[in-house]
Amino acid sequence: MPPTPSTGTTVIPLADMAARVPDGASVALGGSFLHRGPFAFVRELIRQRKRDLEIIKQSPGYDIDILCRAGCVARARAGIVAMEGNFGLAPWYRRAVETQRIALEEHACMTLTAGLRAAAFGVPFQPVGGVHGSDLAALNRWASITDPYGSGGDVWVIPAIRPDIAVIHVNEATEHGDARVRGTSHWDRILTRAARQVFVVAEALAPTAAFEDRPELTLVPGFLVQAVSVAPNGAWPGSCWPRYDVDYPAVEDYLDAARPLDAHLERAPEAAEPARV
Amino acid sequence: MSERWSGFSYIVTNLARFVRPGEVTFSGVNSTPPMLACLLAKRAYDFDFVYLNVAGGVQPRPSKIPLSSSDPVLAQGSAAIFANEDFYDLCTRGGMDLCFLGAAQIDGHGRTNVSVIGDWHRPKVRLPGGGGGAVMLPTARRAVTWRTEHSTRTLVDRLDFVTAAGPLHGVATPIAVFVERGGRLALQSWHPQVSLAEVRRRTGFAFDAAGAGPTPFPAAREAAALRCLDPDGRFERDANVSID
Repeated sequence: MPPTPSTGTTVIPLADMAARVPDGASVALGGSFLHRGPFAFVRELIRQRKRDLEIIKQSPGYDIDILCRAGCVARARAGIVAMEGNFGLAPWYRRAVETQRIALEEHACMTLTAGLRAAAFGVPFQPVGGVHGSDLAALNRWASITDPYGSGGDVWVIPAIRPDIAVIHVNEATEHGDARVRGTSHWDRILTRAARQVFVVAEALAPTAAFEDRPELTLVPGFLVQAVSVAPNGAWPGSCWPRYDVDYPAVEDYLDAARPLDAHLERAPEAAEPARV
Repeated sequence: MSERWSGFSYIVTNLARFVRPGEVTFSGVNSTPPMLACLLAKRAYDFDFVYLNVAGGVQPRPSKIPLSSSDPVLAQGSAAIFANEDFYDLCTRGGMDLCFLGAAQIDGHGRTNVSVIGDWHRPKVRLPGGGGGAVMLPTARRAVTWRTEHSTRTLVDRLDFVTAAGPLHGVATPIAVFVERGGRLALQSWHPQVSLAEVRRRTGFAFDAAGAGPTPFPAAREAAALRCLDPDGRFERDANVSID
């Protein structure tokens, strides 16, 4: 399909979308823990042997873990990292940090969001509530400023965080990149406003007319989106409400260190059914 | 009433007892006990309260109880989605009455560490990290945490790292309930199967126990609600909590 002249968005295969991510890029990932993450896209980054990526996400889990396992990550900026459910810590991520193979910038979820808000708002930093008394402030050399309007209160300010690319997995998108999600949007809205480029991976394409009937349901307008790809079941082994639940046995298999990563990648839905254009 | 009370039921029931009528109450990611506590409070208590959760749920009626406390089923039956930025902003502007937050280590000042065991730069154990705490603990009207292990490793005199300062309003462990008093955690009550001396021996920080006594056993409705939420004991088994 040729680029849509009005927006520059193109519907492309998942492999082509991943190919647009250069080594060393700063990539923000949507979703939260095992829910509606762009996991098919993440696995495609691994298949293409990307290196030195910076991963930005408030609550990554499977995604950052598998990227660390495959050696794709140099740096993480994250709030809380875990597999969740009953799975506990993310083992390959944990080892990567403990052995200092990746650099971590530890945030609270909302300080990371404040940095993203600064980027989205076009300002160099953003105040955030709380943080008082936390060692995270000194660790990250965050500044505190006194209310210039004289309340006497102090507020912590977080420097702008501008990802090169935000990638979100959505329930449906139009060929122009307009994207809708069901259930919570997690942090996807602010990620798509903060990043330089936005890639949308959709469970399915929908007719533009259906979006035009209910434009208020659209989370991301297509003009912000540079590329769209279709990957049914692409949030596997996580959930994509209301289509499918977490595949807990598959997560257990993934966490079994005796099983090779390649077997997991081959089992993924996008490997069985290459993403359609 | 049985004379035995499992550590798992003790934690969930006592977390539920922090819930107050009419208040806005929140449960987050990686937070199975508070999720169960909020759902228990909805079933067991006569009062209403506004239950929000990290799945965007607002007064949800989930059709099943998920393993993941951020599962989207926790927004089922909601008339609105209140997504992450919304509930954090609500909290920082003072609108969150009760917020449940996780912790690995807790000190006597009611501060928490969820970042690291050992030196931050040379971690012995890299823990999940900041999460909600640093922003929600100081800004929620009351923040409450839990630990499934009550020991001098988890309830410490000195945190390896201060992820979030508060102070906490309350802590529930398998054998004790602490509440904040004058900027310190004080013992409110202890598990009726253990002694005050045992709580002291297994706690790494000094605490005031004035007025504390054995925790009241679950009321019939509390016990029935937990059985209803965990009919085959899956959550109880997965939590693997011991009072010893």
